[in-house]
Amino acid sequence: MTPGTTTVSATPSRRTAALWGLAVSVTLAAGPLVLRHRLPDPLAVHWGAGLGPDRSMPLAASATVGVALWAVVWVALLAIAPAVSGRRSARAGWWGALAGSSVLVLAMEATTLLANLDAPSWREARLSGWLFAAAPVVAVAAALLAVRLGRGEADGLTGEVSAPPELRLRPGQRAVWVGRAGNRWLSGLTAAAGAGGVLLGVLWALGVVGDGAAGGTLPGVAIVLLAGLFTSSLTARVTEGGLAIGFGPFGWPVRRIRLDRIARAWSETRSPVEVGGWGFRGLPGDATIMLRGGECLVVGYRSGGRLAVSVDDAERAASLINTLIGDQVSA
Amino acid sequence: MLLTLDLNDARPLHEQVAAAIRRAIGEGSCAPGDRLPPARELAQALGINTNTVLRALRDLRDEGLLEFRRGRGVSVAGVAGGRALLVQRARELLEDAQRHGYGREDLITILEELP
Repeated sequence: MTPGTTTVSATPSRRTAALWGLAVSVTLAAGPLVLRHRLPDPLAVHWGAGLGPDRSMPLAASATVGVALWAVVWVALLAIAPAVSGRRSARAGWWGALAGSSVLVLAMEATTLLANLDAPSWREARLSGWLFAAAPVVAVAAALLAVRLGRGEADGLTGEVSAPPELRLRPGQRAVWVGRAGNRWLSGLTAAAGAGGVLLGVLWALGVVGDGAAGGTLPGVAIVLLAGLFTSSLTARVTEGGLAIGFGPFGWPVRRIRLDRIARAWSETRSPVEVGGWGFRGLPGDATIMLRGGECLVVGYRSGGRLAVSVDDAERAASLINTLIGDQVSA
Repeated sequence: MLLTLDLNDARPLHEQVAAAIRRAIGEGSCAPGDRLPPARELAQALGINTNTVLRALRDLRDEGLLEFRRGRGVSVAGVAGGRALLVQRARELLEDAQRHGYGREDLITILEELP
């Protein structure tokens, strides 16, 4: 591995995305405008089971909603573009989302317009079943193509990778590393859920809240509380036994990775946007345990996979893991 | 934080743990305001009793290096005092010297010979 920082090419280009999004918006607006003499007003915009139209909307409103929906997706993608440039999967996903969503909105509008074309009123608009089914298929195909074209170079090293400094242990010295990571927002949310649950219980006991309301809200509160307890903080430790990651304030459950499974370790900067959010992200083999953006400890398995975990002081952890692996090999 | 213990060290264990934490903070493992891993976690990693770690943490709190806050655990209050860190390094230097067959006086001579 080469030390220092690598820059990755094939960065999602904001300019391309902006021009592409603009073209999609114009097409979405131009379709109804060009065809307005052959379309009923209002327009059928929703079909129930049996492909009979069951909802209508004025032509202008329908066109505006279409463009507005697309604009939300477009602006969101533009906003996260700088953050996804680092990792190949994030980059490819971004291009896929751009292509797939734009093709989907275009195909849906084309389907709607074709169904309404030359219909005397919106009640006579007949949706073509196969076109309706084809729209998502085409969108997925476009997304996959864009993923393939936009993925760029393979991740040799992703994001900002720093080679961990070498650590030397004298004979008779025993070194361990312990680190933690927490997310204040997730902790706050968990605390709020806990307080909400208690409040709900008290109100229920006092008879202010009925059985139905309490029973309906409780599962949601419980899920947030449980998820928060296990994902708002973690502790990690590196010993001769390997890497152990404990979740939640009690450090349980624990995920243990033996040293002989690890090929090497390094630290990397990853953000939630790159890996797809908070919590457990990615697939086994390239997963990230993401609590907060920033420094992550990454271990590469001998089997080829890797696991990243967001934790403070990750560089020293990587150094120690590499040293311990080296000692094991030489011993 | 990276904690290093010397298996041949004759000092009491809590002193060694305090020294290891002081060194880790001195080397920038934890910045002022950072939370320390829970004492139980440190103890498990080092394979020692939690009370030993707690004793070390209390010593460091009395030294002004750590801060105990209810509900927020233990956090770093400040940078390790220059003298405490120097004493620590000197002790390590002395151990190193003894390992190579030099005594206290030899080390002092070496220090005096330094420009």
